[in-house]
Amino acid sequence: MGPLALLGLASQHMKWLSVRQAAVSQNLANVSTPGFRAMDVRPFQDVLQRVQTDLATTHADHIAASPLSAASSALRQADGSDVTTSGNSVNLEQELLKAGDVNRDYALNAGVVKSFHRMLLASVKGGA
Amino acid sequence: MIDPLQSALRIAGSGLDVQSARMRVVSENIANASSTGSTLGADPYARKTISFQNEMSRAAGAPLLRVRGIDVDQKPFRVELNPGHPAADEKGYVKLPNVDVLVELADLRETNRSYQANLQAVRQSRELITMTLDLLKA
Amino acid sequence: MLDALAPVGSAGPLTGGAVRPLSAGAVQGADFTQMLAQVAADAAGSIKAGEAAAISGIQGKASVQQVVDAVLSAERTLQTTLAVRDKMVAAYQEISRMAI
Repeated sequence: MGPLALLGLASQHMKWLSVRQAAVSQNLANVSTPGFRAMDVRPFQDVLQRVQTDLATTHADHIAASPLSAASSALRQADGSDVTTSGNSVNLEQELLKAGDVNRDYALNAGVVKSFHRMLLASVKGGA
Repeated sequence: MIDPLQSALRIAGSGLDVQSARMRVVSENIANASSTGSTLGADPYARKTISFQNEMSRAAGAPLLRVRGIDVDQKPFRVELNPGHPAADEKGYVKLPNVDVLVELADLRETNRSYQANLQAVRQSRELITMTLDLLKA
Repeated sequence: MLDALAPVGSAGPLTGGAVRPLSAGAVQGADFTQMLAQVAADAAGSIKAGEAAAISGIQGKASVQQVVDAVLSAERTLQTTLAVRDKMVAAYQEISRMAI
């Protein structure tokens, strides 16, 4: 995978993670709302497939299909694990674990982007 | 949803707001668990309840949680025989608040947990935005 | 000497082809002027794109990540076009130093 494509993938992943962060925040905010069902994003793989088909037909630098719209339309109601008597299905511990995953993955992707960007700049700079 | 991280921040912020409002209500109930009236046959403190609702916010591009209202619990007051009490009626009965401290304490614990979780979400959303901006630094 | 121009073509992937690879044909003064103009235009274009993204970000129309992506991309394009410019200028100087 070329450096540009890798940067593109990392960027996609970060967008997906941002949407997941919003979903987790929504679940945590509604932890005591009666009848609220926890939501989550579709797996990154699924979202990626939709964007890949668009990638093949457009310039590598410009992602035609907004991964944001793809991911946000991929918000779905999570398979309700436990549903309380009030109809609320948010599991606080699980949501906090998800948040931890998001944090870790986002940091990883950001690190990759930073490193590869620096490397690309450095590789071009070498000797006139 | 233009910026999901901004939305996440506002959503978590709204969760924080409602949980802290709920804490105030529950704390007030606990503080007034024994507050009787002071005149003949007067009503005591009445338990308060709070309800939330989701309101769509264009700025956040997502529904935000808001306090719908603070209501009074219609559960009947407890009565106790205490003829010497200033609030005792002709038969010597005093009306006591319809507050069950054990229930309120459990509520308080749960509210605190929710508050902490939302606080964590706020902090994390802020951190993710910072991580993104840091990419521009050398 | 013409080989000195070849490595510039490998800078292409950085910008995803925004900078045209130089041909290995005979080099003339007019070609160099055109190519330098192209390089300058590319650099200006990528800076403009970064600016536009930053303005969108300030107006709240773009996400933080979109702005960062655009600025990083502008940085890479600029770096490439500067490298291309430097190589082209060096090659031209070398040619002009040659005895007629």
